[in-house]
Amino acid sequence: MLRTPAKLLSVATAGVLATMALTACAGGATGPADGAKRVDGGTIEYAHQQEPACVFGGWIEQAYLSYQVLDNLTSLDEDGTPVPWLAEEWSASDDGLTWTFTLKEGVEFTDGSPLTAEAVAYNFDHWLGGGNSTAQVWLDGYYESAEAVDDQTLVVNLSAPYPRLADNLTQSYFAIQSQEALETRTAEENCEAPIGTGAFVVEEWNRGENIVLTRNDDYTSWPANAKHEGPANVERINWRFVADGTTRTSALRADEVDALYDVPAIEWEGLDTAGFDLAKYVTPGRPQQLSFDTVEGPFVDENVRKAFAYSLDRETLVETIGKGVIPFEGNGGVSQSTPGYSQKAADAYSYDIDKANELLDTAGWTETDADGYRTKDGETLDVTLPYGAGSIINAEGASILQGVQEQAKEAGFKVELIPVPQSEFFAGAYSTPEERDISAGYWTAVTAGILHINWRQNLPDSPNYNNDAFYNDPVLEDLILAANSEADLDAQNALYAEAQEYIADHALSIGLYDRLSSLAVSPYLKDVWQENAQGGPVFHDAYFVE
Amino acid sequence: MTLQQKVPVTPPAARSRKNVVAPWGLGAALAALLFFVAALVAPQVLATHDPYALDLANALQAPSLAHWFGTDESGRDLYSRVVWGTRDSLLIGIGATAVSLTIALILGAIAALAGKYVAGTVNRVIEVLFAFPTLLLALLLVTVIGPSAFSQVFAVGVGTSPGYARMIRGQILSAKNSGYVEAATALGHSRGRILRHHVIPNAIRPLVAVIALSVGQSIVWASSLAFLGLGVAPPSPEWGALLDAGRLYITQAPWLTVIPGLVIVTLAIAATTIGKHIQASLEKGEK
Repeated sequence: MLRTPAKLLSVATAGVLATMALTACAGGATGPADGAKRVDGGTIEYAHQQEPACVFGGWIEQAYLSYQVLDNLTSLDEDGTPVPWLAEEWSASDDGLTWTFTLKEGVEFTDGSPLTAEAVAYNFDHWLGGGNSTAQVWLDGYYESAEAVDDQTLVVNLSAPYPRLADNLTQSYFAIQSQEALETRTAEENCEAPIGTGAFVVEEWNRGENIVLTRNDDYTSWPANAKHEGPANVERINWRFVADGTTRTSALRADEVDALYDVPAIEWEGLDTAGFDLAKYVTPGRPQQLSFDTVEGPFVDENVRKAFAYSLDRETLVETIGKGVIPFEGNGGVSQSTPGYSQKAADAYSYDIDKANELLDTAGWTETDADGYRTKDGETLDVTLPYGAGSIINAEGASILQGVQEQAKEAGFKVELIPVPQSEFFAGAYSTPEERDISAGYWTAVTAGILHINWRQNLPDSPNYNNDAFYNDPVLEDLILAANSEADLDAQNALYAEAQEYIADHALSIGLYDRLSSLAVSPYLKDVWQENAQGGPVFHDAYFVE
Repeated sequence: MTLQQKVPVTPPAARSRKNVVAPWGLGAALAALLFFVAALVAPQVLATHDPYALDLANALQAPSLAHWFGTDESGRDLYSRVVWGTRDSLLIGIGATAVSLTIALILGAIAALAGKYVAGTVNRVIEVLFAFPTLLLALLLVTVIGPSAFSQVFAVGVGTSPGYARMIRGQILSAKNSGYVEAATALGHSRGRILRHHVIPNAIRPLVAVIALSVGQSIVWASSLAFLGLGVAPPSPEWGALLDAGRLYITQAPWLTVIPGLVIVTLAIAATTIGKHIQASLEKGEK
């Protein structure tokens, strides 16, 4: 036990020196020698940031995992076109209402049951019945039925044309599971270890620690864009959950892990210089953005929303904290990697404090209190901004939000940041107009069809809980619906762009930064790549060299 | 000499070298405490910058004459944030100590003075609480209540109370079974008077030193919770929150974690030193 201040001081000094020493020894891989020999088998030690509740589900963190064990009908190629995976080919009828998929032959789920059109049709109904919340909201309003014509032929009937169906099916929310497993196993079993046709199977899940995935030696259904044919090269993946970015990076540098997800921006340059392979994928879909509550509180007034947007120097903020790794995003509708992106919408608001003040004056927020916050009829311009801390917004995002809070203060906004723990956030905390004024978050997608999910009206007979601005506008919805069903790609993109500009014009949402999927990989592990639909790691092709 | 004169007010306690605080140590501790109290009362006098003001052009600057403790990822001046964070950190530490000792006094007194069954039950409660490590118990409470300054105070207060409750129980029992209480009983003093004049004062006196020690310890526990993201809301410069915010940058900007860490250690050492000095003075007075 420490007894004297001198001893305590010496321990403290030792602690500081140890910290300095630790931070100084930021080592790293130098890379394999030329002509390094390929090694078959082995275990990939992979450090991932977040642990979802189930392997399969409607969150991108689940998609990353389920990609390893489940296959989809289609896969997205580098150029953004869907290529065969479990479906060898597909076509849509002239009216766009009937899609026919021809499945690969001889594919088996890892429980031994065959991949049939009937099993796939069952999966469609399973998603729509609540089996996957994200697949459900994508197909809702379009899907009518799925039928097996024969073992290999599946017909999907739609109520309205949806020309980008095959593109959307590349996301792991639409991964195919064994019908037998879904029907006979418990929900918990299917949650922890879903049965698919994928390159790996779930061996065990130690909650809070890791998931062990082992190779499916009978794998036959790799996608057309895989880098090799046949089962995975490695025997096992130890998918560890390491929430702290510094710890993940240190583990990679210390050779404790072979790859990590979500490279902290501050570590990017150092890892690059040290010879690690870095990959960055700007997720298409909704960027990290701020949606304003349009039915309760000060942001009901469009002038106040615009004033908030003008009060922020978002670009400098993101560039500084993101270290040039995290891209600034001005567009609140979709990110810059999304087809149909509107630069005009992205450029709608830049920092202009005079304009912000003028708009607030017009809105009647003319007085200021002793702390410099605007007031109106004795009420402070107080706005709440809850965010999913650690789950939806990572540490860098939290710093950016603190910057937003401070910048908005200059115009007289008093922003209250409320970090919400993951469990509370996903349980629906701060989801009503009374509970929040600004909603922060993203939603990944492969097309601008995400606008339909985020901006479809929330009506009593057709609720939409994903309309974060609580904005019911038939004009905007009709524009998005027209885009969704437009077969001509250019015309579709033009309609989606128009919808983004509408969102910007009314300051319903403003962008902050683009969400990234990033990887840092040891130079001794080759052919790890990011799949093109969501940017998750693909380990099926990976192999070690020595 | 009368029997009354033989009843000591306080039992003699052994004095040992371990409680002796070197004068320079006490001086340094008092100086540190003075600085922290000044930062608590008038942070605007000590701070050199607005603790919340962004200076994006000067993000992640190492300590310098312009920024004594350097700047964080948004260019905020770390020294000024540490100064302004003193209020949150100290108030949380003092609040948690108050909660802890209040609970401890109630539980400890009941465990020592109540009847067999009530005392037995309270003792079991203390033992069950004692079985949980302090941080685990605090974590559990914050998870249930939700993160905030209040929950930090409450959780740390409850988390640290079982140890103090047990200590207070021991003190009361020791006083209750002492010779001077026996003597007072023999002299026909009432139970209430014995409690008021002998048992309670003798049991409480050592707590004066414990309070000083406990404040420092509570700040460390509260900072631990904030470090885990279970403290006050951002962008509060509470010291644990500063540590938490700095850890992402530890390899490139170690001052963001090392300096708040050192500040926490400094306050804990100062509080401990002063506590020990008080304890030593009390013991000396008893001689």
